[in-house]
Amino acid sequence: MIKLDRRLILNFDWTLFILIILLSGIGLLNIYSAGFSLTDFHRTPLYVKQIQWILIGVAGMACAFFMDYRFIARHAYIIYGISILLLLVVFTAGYTTRGSQRWVAIGGFTFQPSELVKLTIILALAKYFDRHQLGRNCRLRDLFPPFLIVILPFLFILKQPDLGTGLILLILFLSIIFFVGLDWKSLLIAAVSGVILAPISWHLLKDYQKGRILTFFNPERDPLGSGYHIIQSMIAVGSGGLLGKGFLKGSQTQLKFLPEQQTDFIFSVFAEEWGFIGGLILMIMFLLLILWGLKISIHSKDYLGAIVAFGITSLIFWEVFINIGMVLGILPVVGIPLPFLSYGGSAMVVLMTAVGLLMNISVRRFILQS
Amino acid sequence: MQEIHDRLDRYEPGQFKNKFKILFVIVSIALTLIVMRLWYLQVIKGNELRQRSENNSVRLRKIKSMRGLVLDTGRQVLVDNQPSFDLVFVPNRTRDANTIIEKIRTLYVKRSLTLSSLSSFTGKVKPLVPVTIERNISMEKLAVVETHALELPGVVVEVTPVRQYLNGKMTAQVIGFTGEVSREELDYDISDLLTPGDIIGKFGIEKFLDAHLRGKNGAEQVEVNVAGKAVRSLGRIQSEPGDNVVLSIDLALQEEAWKALGDRPGAVVVLDPRNGAVLALVSSPSFDPNLFNGGISSDDWEKLTGNRRHPMENRSISGQYPPGSTYKPIIAAAALEEGLITPETTFYCNGTFELGNRIFRCWNAKGHGHISLHRAIVESCDVYFYNLGKLLGVDKIAAYAQAFGLGAPLGIDLTREKGGLIPTKQWKLSRMKEPWQQGETISISIGQGFNLVTPLQLANIYATLGNGGTLYRPRLVKQLESSSGLVVKEYETEKLGVLPLSPQTVQIINKALWGVVNEKGGTGYILKRKEADVAGKTGTSQVIGLPQDAKARKAKRVSADFQDHALFACFAPYGNPEIAVAVILENAGHGGTAAAPVARKIIDAYFARKHTIQSRLQGIADDEGGTRKP
Repeated sequence: MIKLDRRLILNFDWTLFILIILLSGIGLLNIYSAGFSLTDFHRTPLYVKQIQWILIGVAGMACAFFMDYRFIARHAYIIYGISILLLLVVFTAGYTTRGSQRWVAIGGFTFQPSELVKLTIILALAKYFDRHQLGRNCRLRDLFPPFLIVILPFLFILKQPDLGTGLILLILFLSIIFFVGLDWKSLLIAAVSGVILAPISWHLLKDYQKGRILTFFNPERDPLGSGYHIIQSMIAVGSGGLLGKGFLKGSQTQLKFLPEQQTDFIFSVFAEEWGFIGGLILMIMFLLLILWGLKISIHSKDYLGAIVAFGITSLIFWEVFINIGMVLGILPVVGIPLPFLSYGGSAMVVLMTAVGLLMNISVRRFILQS
Repeated sequence: MQEIHDRLDRYEPGQFKNKFKILFVIVSIALTLIVMRLWYLQVIKGNELRQRSENNSVRLRKIKSMRGLVLDTGRQVLVDNQPSFDLVFVPNRTRDANTIIEKIRTLYVKRSLTLSSLSSFTGKVKPLVPVTIERNISMEKLAVVETHALELPGVVVEVTPVRQYLNGKMTAQVIGFTGEVSREELDYDISDLLTPGDIIGKFGIEKFLDAHLRGKNGAEQVEVNVAGKAVRSLGRIQSEPGDNVVLSIDLALQEEAWKALGDRPGAVVVLDPRNGAVLALVSSPSFDPNLFNGGISSDDWEKLTGNRRHPMENRSISGQYPPGSTYKPIIAAAALEEGLITPETTFYCNGTFELGNRIFRCWNAKGHGHISLHRAIVESCDVYFYNLGKLLGVDKIAAYAQAFGLGAPLGIDLTREKGGLIPTKQWKLSRMKEPWQQGETISISIGQGFNLVTPLQLANIYATLGNGGTLYRPRLVKQLESSSGLVVKEYETEKLGVLPLSPQTVQIINKALWGVVNEKGGTGYILKRKEADVAGKTGTSQVIGLPQDAKARKAKRVSADFQDHALFACFAPYGNPEIAVAVILENAGHGGTAAAPVARKIIDAYFARKHTIQSRLQGIADDEGGTRKP
């Protein structure tokens, strides 16, 4: 199905590509800084590993770009099925890290299938809505099959337990429904039942997850645990001031007040060293990226492409918003990485591949002239 | 294709344009919210938070866990922990590591002490990240540093537990040693429980049971002053000590075996034939595991790894030797079980055995004359076994050898156990791309040729014969206990299989092994004793590469490296064995004269102790009987 069309090159989406490379580059500098003062001269530095992941990600991006997305979407359910199987593998043969079982090892690398699921449910939902176009807004009963698509991996991921990723899946589902359109009566019923279900789902949460939410409202509750994270990360961000302390000069970063600062709390490293100006520029870049994605979505020549592009864009948007909101202390601490900046191979490769799909949809609107 | 066109028709491009506005608004509001929050934290509260960051004197400090102890079967402590005083330096902008180190060096020199070079300290430091300058310093050094504390800003003495191996070389191969976790080990550790600077097991039991011995590090949030010294604890998570390990090793027997070996290269394995428990596991030459405590110096490391005699190798489980005549019971058992011979079958030995144009010799050049199976084992007649080998063929021999647990690791609770080698026709074809030669079967039948066994496997053969044919997995660990003494895990006796031999066959073989020690003319006659009957077999195995031709052999054997290995394996008491012993002495000559005396010392020690315990118990019983009398 790979057709090397000259138009693929002519209409290549340079804006998107350059934005992604810039963001990954910023991420790399940050990871370098976060790992700079590790006492341990023996371990392979994380930034070296991240470079490897970016390269694998670019390969994934190329793959997703050259194949026609309609061809990929035709196999969306199979891809979805495989990602669910991988989630199951996590339960039988997965690795446990800090009390949650999220990883599988593939040829020496560890991989987090829950990251992959974020993309595969977008594809599966897009295929479903494309197949069953209604020409009107959805009612609740129209939403039953797509709800099943999401709830299955959602439950598996909640069991790992990984609250953040589970949350993202639900938010993606709601966003895509909003995009394809929802009947206002159904919306009302959903909202009311949501309010009723909230206390029930509270009981399903693990103690540490409840603790995090409680701590969000009162950081002093747990100064050694997640409250410590919030306080230290706010100090780190705030101490950056207007202009920042400079690259490799963030005292909060270099003194490792935040354990695991290279993953979910990477923004605090950036904000401390580059200040408000740096943060503003980063936010503008993310805004550009998101608007560009929405533009690709609404200009898509077909329904399928529009939903896939929208799904990917909203994934990036929500991850950026929730992650930075958490670092800045306006949202609770849930494990969601910052796209393109956080250290982590699975998320990087999956997001790069997703961006490849975005470019794919972007370029094929010039090719698909019906 | 038609379907796609249909759908393109139904979809109006731009259908979603009306949604763009509202999406744009949502995204803008969300990101503006973040920018506003950034403005609030960084600009409005920026100064205040910067102040807080500069005064941020709170650190998370690792509390190292205490490693578990290692005990012998009688609960004697083999490995203990002792405090180690480590010199740690906390650099900052005004303090330079190299000048401080120079200062310490000069202070040391005044009292004729030397600063040991630490292999892990590369000289690279980063501000405020503590580096260890010297580990496990002596009391004199500690005094020097403490009295000059004012001249040495940023230098602190940290107390951490280090291992103390109470029996040094004697148990080094079994217990192993610990060291700082390496980069590879950190990369490999997916559990993420390890952090840089952690001490983990590197060898032996320390490595095999590391996860249990290690315990769990704790953490403490401490407030530190400008010098980096902790002044106040703000909360802590206690570390959890590791589990204690109780081994099946009997320290008294281990010591006896170690002494009996002396400094000669070789190995001794003592098993309990009733359950596979390893009572002694000795490999010589050995090394001092306490050398690794402060991080081994590169000099010492080179001395150890560069040593031609390989002190770091645990010969008892990874040394592989041709079993020589100790292999003969397996051949005999195979021939009996296959119905190829009866105990009465005799062969004539004139000192040589011809196959094609090759001549194989018996160790006794004069020959043994007409000889039966029993006497062939007792006198270790080679020609008799050449005949059996020819009748059996290599693959049948291999099948029986494998039933004895040879050719693959037995699964003792240690890493680096080797499996030895039991050749088959298929093996040779795939490995050497050459067909099997019948002459090679003849060598195999007296335990030479490609055959290789480990001392552990050798001991296990005799333990299995002794107990009547049950193959157990050799087991070094008896149980794990929590630091408070509760049993966490008991290691059960594990049956690997049962020999495919009839009780009669085992009986015939064991009777012959008894004869080796207890009958006139037996090769192990020096083990004959009063307290218990020993049954065993000597072996003298040729080092690979020795030519069969007698003259060439003599010439080559002059060189020490080509001297024969001496072997002896046995169990005792005959009929109801309590211990099985295997001894291998490298390049030491004849099994009966070199290896058997080592085995005798161990058996003497075992029964002497048993005797004293019994007579003491008897004494107590007599006393009690006496007091009851009116």
